[in-house]
Amino acid sequence: MNSCQPILSISNLQTRFATRYGLVTAVDGVSLDVMPGECVGVVGESGSGKSVTFASVMGLVKKPGWIDGGSIIFEGQELVGLNAKGYRSLRGKEMAMTMQDALTALNPALTIGFQIMEVLLAHDEMLTGSARNRKREARDRAIEMMQLVGIPSPETRLDEYPHQFSGGMRQRMMIAIALACRPKLLIADEPTTALDVTIQAQVLELIADIREKLGMSVVLITHDLGVVAEYCDRIAVMYAGQVIEFGPTKTVIGQPAHPYTQGLLRSIPNLAHLERRIKPIEGQVPELINLPPGCRFIGRCESRQEACNQTIAMREIDNGCSVRCTLPGARG
Amino acid sequence: MNSIDYSIGEAPFIEAKNLVKHYDSRRGLWGKVTGNPGSLVQAVDGVSFSIYRGETLGLIGESGCGKSTLGRAVLRLHEPTSGSIIFDGIDVTDLNAADLKTMRRRMQIIFQDPYASLNPRKTIEDIIGTALRLQGLAKGPDIRDRVTQLLENVGLKPEHMSRFPHQFSGGQRQRIGIARALALNPEFIVCDEPVSALDVSIQAQVIQLLDELKHELGLTYLFISHDISVIGYVSDRIAVMYLGDIVETGITKQILANPLHPYTQALLSAVPRVDGKGSGERVKLTGDLPSPINPPNGCKFNTRCPFAKDQCRQTKPIHQTLKSGTTVACHLVNDGPI
Repeated sequence: MNSCQPILSISNLQTRFATRYGLVTAVDGVSLDVMPGECVGVVGESGSGKSVTFASVMGLVKKPGWIDGGSIIFEGQELVGLNAKGYRSLRGKEMAMTMQDALTALNPALTIGFQIMEVLLAHDEMLTGSARNRKREARDRAIEMMQLVGIPSPETRLDEYPHQFSGGMRQRMMIAIALACRPKLLIADEPTTALDVTIQAQVLELIADIREKLGMSVVLITHDLGVVAEYCDRIAVMYAGQVIEFGPTKTVIGQPAHPYTQGLLRSIPNLAHLERRIKPIEGQVPELINLPPGCRFIGRCESRQEACNQTIAMREIDNGCSVRCTLPGARG
Repeated sequence: MNSIDYSIGEAPFIEAKNLVKHYDSRRGLWGKVTGNPGSLVQAVDGVSFSIYRGETLGLIGESGCGKSTLGRAVLRLHEPTSGSIIFDGIDVTDLNAADLKTMRRRMQIIFQDPYASLNPRKTIEDIIGTALRLQGLAKGPDIRDRVTQLLENVGLKPEHMSRFPHQFSGGQRQRIGIARALALNPEFIVCDEPVSALDVSIQAQVIQLLDELKHELGLTYLFISHDISVIGYVSDRIAVMYLGDIVETGITKQILANPLHPYTQALLSAVPRVDGKGSGERVKLTGDLPSPINPPNGCKFNTRCPFAKDQCRQTKPIHQTLKSGTTVACHLVNDGPI
């Protein structure tokens, strides 16, 4: 897997927002890469910058926010500074993103069919012939996509509106839209957060299935460690705008190096070992407007030391993970 | 978790008998009757359960299964359509308004959404102190003393008293909600998804707080959640709800290790585990929860059940209690292991 080039490579990304309280660096020096066919999980609590990172990749960061530095290489092409036209030819076709809240992301005034066909029609070269032919062909493809995501009787449901679908179905429609043009990279932003577990399992299996069939890469943004543990090859853990640990799923979950990752894992009840008491991480995530100078986890870390007050860079450790921590305990 | 000996045959502290809550969905915005007659939302459809003193009963189910409605009906925040709730020997469903108000001192609720459940225009002192004032339990400076004590109990500081809800984070707001529920020294608290809106690390803080308070104050909880790991962690016993019915009830360990109802099995196996070990083969469910307006005949789960047979489509299974103490409503249980 490592022999080939990453399909997406983010390095030292900085995304800032001007707010009335001051400058907020929502993404501060994030570097990560996604290999072809790989599923990378991005975990973090709300406000950790995981969604903004990938909104930056998709070119969706709008004023008062901007990308202030770093680079995003997608299939050899630099995306930072790419103009609207350039982005338009990529989005939906080469890479696609599903949004967390399917109800607000779908247009309530347009039929589901229209919203799927729109993507297909926008990326011309996929369909041929007269306008009418193209439309018919797009409609067939839309029906096919709805079948793929498991919507019963797609021929009739194509003409229905988002409110006529259940939450799980809406999320599946979003996936159908995202996958309509068979992108090489799917960014799924909290695809199952609003869903029940049995529906969550359906949606995640669906993404895993399609990923295998189409050989696409997936970035799964979530706050649920269980989800990444089961579906992802590698995990990036984010905290307060930075990636603090990045490595193969098994290693990060099995031998977490960063105290924050360790703390997160200790905060979730383990169904197989209910006698193990959970241990919360004390305190709260620092406000992005008022960050400590060094390690951002310092206020909540039990093993903090003098060196933590300085800026800490990501470094590789023995077990193949990268970690942003000074601790020798991080097995550096 | 504490260990309760269920074999003693102690009378239940809270008992719901055949509790029903139907909503008339024909009533439109202005109370006008529209739509088809008989379009009743059968949110809770004949549920019976008991909770013993000092225990936590975990109520789990997917959204729309009626678990929150059930929680509220137990407190008579929603008037039950029929059935009864016995609280410490007293039939709550029979009480008049004045008696119910007195009764409410003994039973309280913590709400799911820490943003919507606190009045943004009131100070924390008002929010927590109102119940004391309304119940005539404290006046003037006494209220302040009690609020101070409550804030300390839930890990907040007395100086937070004069602040407004927007000045707090989600986790802190939930602590305020907990302090409010504790204000009247209740014996029983319905925790309606108290941690669902919180981040993982904050979730653990609140779960731990609820656990500590339970032991310190000798509380009894009805803990409602859709998250099986949270329910498994906090509960002594678990009740699984599907489309207005409780389909399985039993001791937590039993339910987790040996779920009998196919829905419980599916629910458990659908949870992604951090340790990467699901409970073996995943029981896959297809389709969505049917509408509670027109639930399926027979066993309500038959439309999604991978094992459904003719009998399941025709007759509703009755609840049977097995040797293990688990109560389950499924036709297939007698046919041996599913």
